[in-house]
Amino acid sequence: MTGYLVRRAGQMVLTLFLIITFAFFLVQAQPGDYATFYALDPDIPPEVKQQLRASFGLDKPLWEQYLIHLKNTVTGDFGVSFGHFPRPVMDVLVERVPRTAVLFLSATVLSFYIGFFLGKAIAWRRGGWLEYTATISGATLFTVFTPAFALMMIWIFAFRLGWLPVGKFLDPLVWRHADVSANYVFGQMLLTAFLFTAFAFLVLYLLKRTGRVGLARWAGPLIAVGGVAALFVWSFSGVGGLALDILKHMVLPIVTLTLISFAGTMLLTRNSMLETVREDYVMAARAKGLPEKMVRDRHAARNALLPVVTSLVYSLVFAIDGSVIIEVVFSWPGTGLTLLQAVRTEDLPLVMGAMVFIGLFSLLAHAIVDVLYVYLDPRIRYQ
Amino acid sequence: MAAKINGPLLKVEDLTLRYLTRGGEVRAVEGVSFELEQGQALGLVGESGCGKTSVANSLMRLLPDNARLAGGQVWLRGEDIFALEEDEVREYRWRRVAMVFQAAMNSLDPVYKVGQQIVEAIEAHEIEGTISAARERVARLFRLVGLDPALMDRYPHEFSGGMRQRAVIAMALSCDPAVIIADEPTTALDVIVQDRILRELKAIQQQLNMAIIYISHDIAVVAEVTDRIGVMYAGHLVEYGNTADVFRAPLHPYTDALLGSFPSVTGERRPLAGLSGEPPNLIDPPAGCPFHPRCPRATQICQEEFPPQAWEGTQWAKCWHPMNAGAEAPSDVELEAASDVGIVEQSAHGEGG
Ligand SMILES: Nc1ncnc2c1ncn2[C@@H]1O[C@H](COP(=O)(O)OP(=O)(O)OP(=O)(O)O)[C@@H](O)[C@H]1O
Ligand SMILES: [Mg+2]
Repeated sequence: MTGYLVRRAGQMVLTLFLIITFAFFLVQAQPGDYATFYALDPDIPPEVKQQLRASFGLDKPLWEQYLIHLKNTVTGDFGVSFGHFPRPVMDVLVERVPRTAVLFLSATVLSFYIGFFLGKAIAWRRGGWLEYTATISGATLFTVFTPAFALMMIWIFAFRLGWLPVGKFLDPLVWRHADVSANYVFGQMLLTAFLFTAFAFLVLYLLKRTGRVGLARWAGPLIAVGGVAALFVWSFSGVGGLALDILKHMVLPIVTLTLISFAGTMLLTRNSMLETVREDYVMAARAKGLPEKMVRDRHAARNALLPVVTSLVYSLVFAIDGSVIIEVVFSWPGTGLTLLQAVRTEDLPLVMGAMVFIGLFSLLAHAIVDVLYVYLDPRIRYQ
Repeated sequence: MAAKINGPLLKVEDLTLRYLTRGGEVRAVEGVSFELEQGQALGLVGESGCGKTSVANSLMRLLPDNARLAGGQVWLRGEDIFALEEDEVREYRWRRVAMVFQAAMNSLDPVYKVGQQIVEAIEAHEIEGTISAARERVARLFRLVGLDPALMDRYPHEFSGGMRQRAVIAMALSCDPAVIIADEPTTALDVIVQDRILRELKAIQQQLNMAIIYISHDIAVVAEVTDRIGVMYAGHLVEYGNTADVFRAPLHPYTDALLGSFPSVTGERRPLAGLSGEPPNLIDPPAGCPFHPRCPRATQICQEEFPPQAWEGTQWAKCWHPMNAGAEAPSDVELEAASDVGIVEQSAHGEGG
């Protein structure tokens, strides 16, 4: 296993190197360079132009430029953003990447849970009203034109009902007198979410370790207590209102993304489950006198999960693709929107930085799913 | 469970089962009756598709959705198993009747450790109070079937075919069932392993004094380990008797043909000797005796009427022209009697004692 992980990490480094290289040459393939912008200005004397080119390093041969770029990227120096001058690209990305990650991880996890739950339910009881409703609405949402659907959601929930904000990351009116930055509050929120998840897993793990069946029922209440405690701390922190404002802005994009993507998991789970319910071990589980719910969840659905998890990789990639559309429609200042703006304003350092980060994100997602798969399917052992 | 009453451990009477399919009703089991005493081993044999697994699944109350019980009753220790409520069925399964599945290879869930899958059954029936006691029990069962108890924390894919087969037998024994059904328990194994496992299963059965039903299409395999044999054809139980008797002097021409199709030493199977054709389509079986289209002894009557039981001591066959010259050819009186379930049952009682 360790050997596998080492090799897997090696592969990731290689892939990342290819991504950096590809991004560099893709940008180089565009006509002109940054200095061309000045080159056309008749007021600038030629020697100054020459000097400018030299200061950007543009007078050096391409391979040397590439090596310099590579060295800088590896050391985490993406240069300075033109569009956000004088902020370094890294600074911009460190602010934007978590916003995208939170949005898409939440939506992916939610749609996976909903999809898996519905999928196994409709495969278990064929032909009920649930199967028709879930299949038809799921398939419709899955195939709908994303921007149109997102706009429709905004129109319904923001304009007509007024329940949620129209878009953006926060409401400036709420933050007018705030003495903390949005990044700080958001960072604290991420930390809370992370700690809470870790706490929930710890509770589940420890209760399972005891080996007593009766104790497992305390997991739900214990985790709930942890959640209430976290809310309590937040409500007295003085920035609870600000956090709530950010949360409110997150709801609509997350719900929209979840709605357009859950059907993929649902239909896949359903098909996979229709196969596993016919397996002999499911019949054996029933013959052993296990309750139907256990036959369904522990045996049929557990095995149906395997191909669905494989598809999680694709849905994560799908989420990254969708991030540009969703972030633009909801004016969500994440990586997707940043990338789009950077391309429009020819903010080349930022374009390359964002591309590398998106590549890194999908590499990590792949690696996580691979490891998860080993954990879920004992037949798979990477040597 | 109902109080023990006198009578056989398991009593199957006139079991009739249909599968509803698009093509029509499959008449998978037709009026099958037999009894089983504690400690007894019964073999059910017949060609593929004759309804053996359907009988087994009925005894487990584990029928697919499209199955319909068209008649008959099954009593286990005097309790009518088709009258059980859903909760009671769950308790009944595995605790009263357990099964070694036809596809033993695939009846272990690939994602759980083998021991855990047995513990799961023990837990579901609350046989042991704690998980450690349940694991201890699994260890004992592993030793009983000849597996190293250390293997219980391995996954099914780490087991060889023979080991999986043993694990599945251990699983069937885990809740002390009254009856074990072994549905072609060894077909996927090579002949030598198959033979060894059958012998061991037989020894365990005698040691624990359980009742067991072996199902196979190979009458020779089953004959080695059973006291009684029932031969099935097209959903009917066509012959029944002591294994030795049936083996030595079969009454039904079909049994005779099965005996003639012994596997050769190399393990390959010759076609049924002297038999042409295939078993009938169970959606539209032939009138009269279902075997008549393939039977060398068939006459006019075989095409018209279903044969009554012909007796030879405790052995019987449903045939108009039984093989053994000594067997009483059914007279007109018996013909009427045979259509009367009461009398057939009476004779079955006489035979059971
Ligand atoms: N769920 C089902 N739906 C429709 N027909 C079925 C179903 N299960 C079995 N059958 C049919 O019922 C008949 C009896 O099947 P069964 O499995 O009991 O036979 P078997 O004697 O166990 O055969 P084998 O030796 O191949 O296991 C066969 O004709 C089979 O095709
Ligand atoms: Mg069968």
